[in-house]
Amino acid sequence: MPSVAELSQSLVNGVGIGLIYGLIAIGFSVIYNASGIVNFAQGVFVMLGGMFAHTLLTSYGIPIWLSAIISTVLVAAVGVLVQIFVINPMWRRNAPLFAIILATLAVQLLIEQVIILTLGDRPRTYPEFTAGGPLKIGTVAIPYQFFWVLGVGALLVFALTQFFNRTRMGRALRACAQNREAAALLGIPVERMLIVAFALSAGLGAVAGILITPTQYTAYLIGTPFGINGFIAAIIGGFGSPVAGLVGGVLLGVIQSEAIVFFGAGFRNIISLTVLLVVLMYFPKGLFGGLEKKA
Amino acid sequence: MTSPVIISAKPPAGAAKFASRFDRFQVGLLVVAALLTCAALAYGGFLLTVMQLAMIYAIFCIGLNFFMGYTGQASFGQNAFACVGGYGSAILTVQYGWEPLPALLASMAVSGFFALIIGYPTLRLRGHYLAMATFSLGLITYDISIQWTSVTQGYMGYAGIPPMGIGNWTVESERWKLVTLAVLVAFGFWLSLRMRDSRFGRGLRAISGSENGAAALGVRVPRFKLIAFVIAALYASAAGSLFAYTIGFISPEVYGPAMSIMTFTMLFVGGVGTIVGPIIGAVVTSLLQEVVRGSGHYQDVAYAIVLLVTLIYAPKGISALGALFRRKKEEA
Repeated sequence: MPSVAELSQSLVNGVGIGLIYGLIAIGFSVIYNASGIVNFAQGVFVMLGGMFAHTLLTSYGIPIWLSAIISTVLVAAVGVLVQIFVINPMWRRNAPLFAIILATLAVQLLIEQVIILTLGDRPRTYPEFTAGGPLKIGTVAIPYQFFWVLGVGALLVFALTQFFNRTRMGRALRACAQNREAAALLGIPVERMLIVAFALSAGLGAVAGILITPTQYTAYLIGTPFGINGFIAAIIGGFGSPVAGLVGGVLLGVIQSEAIVFFGAGFRNIISLTVLLVVLMYFPKGLFGGLEKKA
Repeated sequence: MTSPVIISAKPPAGAAKFASRFDRFQVGLLVVAALLTCAALAYGGFLLTVMQLAMIYAIFCIGLNFFMGYTGQASFGQNAFACVGGYGSAILTVQYGWEPLPALLASMAVSGFFALIIGYPTLRLRGHYLAMATFSLGLITYDISIQWTSVTQGYMGYAGIPPMGIGNWTVESERWKLVTLAVLVAFGFWLSLRMRDSRFGRGLRAISGSENGAAALGVRVPRFKLIAFVIAALYASAAGSLFAYTIGFISPEVYGPAMSIMTFTMLFVGGVGTIVGPIIGAVVTSLLQEVVRGSGHYQDVAYAIVLLVTLIYAPKGISALGALFRRKKEEA
């Protein structure tokens, strides 16, 4: 039986990684709500965020805060390109759902290979945003990066909630989510809204990638695990509000970390995929799907 | 037990039956595939291996086409059943000294059983949820095949799997392997045709048109979906076993998620829901991969771009191109 210290340490780790999953989950639900498409290439944006930030930081010597901002903008641009060149043509032709899913998987393969060709396949990392740490509370060590993740996560969720509730564009996006035909009739440019959704979602993924790289690493192949865990978090949260996505992510992160303590690291994915299947069977609308009105 | 009657015209017989199933373009494609097989037999070498793999994937895709094409559902996790089939055959023949054929059939039975108990709850899901649930099924199986080293030998994989054969007669030479596989593809294809035009097959196609409509006509939608899923799993398992017998070596990577994506590509390139689509797609995609492999590092880039272009501009695949020409002719 693991000790209390081990359990609480893994709890901290779980919340940290869970917040990252939460950000990816919000990215999933932004696109899903606006278009009815699940972008299976979501994880690739996480990878791109970390890779771009690292390249800007090390090859061009740009300070980390500026690298992070430029990287986020670049990844958002990639998201827009994916929307314009892949998703939109299929969307206009009323392509079947599974063809679009396969297309997003193909986009993931394409971007990963381009990254190998241009930036190499070596895993890379950069120092934490704030030097020093970790903060010790009893035997539990909390790296400073954890507070960055927590702070940025909270800030983004707050900003997104405001965006969806207060701004004209955010409301237009929600209108598209409720009924695309009606939204179009009301004069909302639905296709442009989809571009906004992809940019937003890619940007969120990039932020997640930039935040996680110091504590783990980034390489061309991290997209799939992050994408899948983000999707599971989105399903637990129920594709609803940003808060639900974040909570779903934290739940998944904690379950995963505790599973590592009990069963060993090899079973991490098996556990989280089993969680996914159980949630899909018994709570098909997510844990919060029945509880809350759509934000 | 009285089963509900599905009201539908019987398919016409004889030559008219043939014409109603295939258009000339599709027959042409099949002939090209057959000629390619003959060419591989004549020239041997690397083309032989490529065509062997194409045949194996064709069997997989014929099964997948049942579930995806005719029934209109999605399973991104059929590689799980290929994995069961491959490892089942490998373990039974290498560890327990079984004959290849009984091992193949036993693995198929196990896969079918798994498909039954997994499919029963899973198939209630729809759309993206079904896609993700099945995708995760494939990923779980992949992880288990890596982690459960006492049974699967992990990354090491299984080597020394005997070739296909019955009793003293074994298929050793590469050419005969291809012939055997081609015969098996033909058999699987014929079986799928029979099932497609049966009452059951027509029920499946009704489901893909409209689940509610099919239910109103007396099709037992959940049961039909489940049977289609099991059929797809049986084909996948057989393909997995045949891979093991043909190559003689398997590892978790063979049956990884990449297999799902590749077989999906084959199905979409060939034409999902068409009769000849799975075979054509498997042959074309396998050849394409080899052609692109020549261009060094850019193979996966080219592969992804070809896939994207196909999905956007020819979403019904190669088999449907014939209809495209015909429509243009009529318009002209």
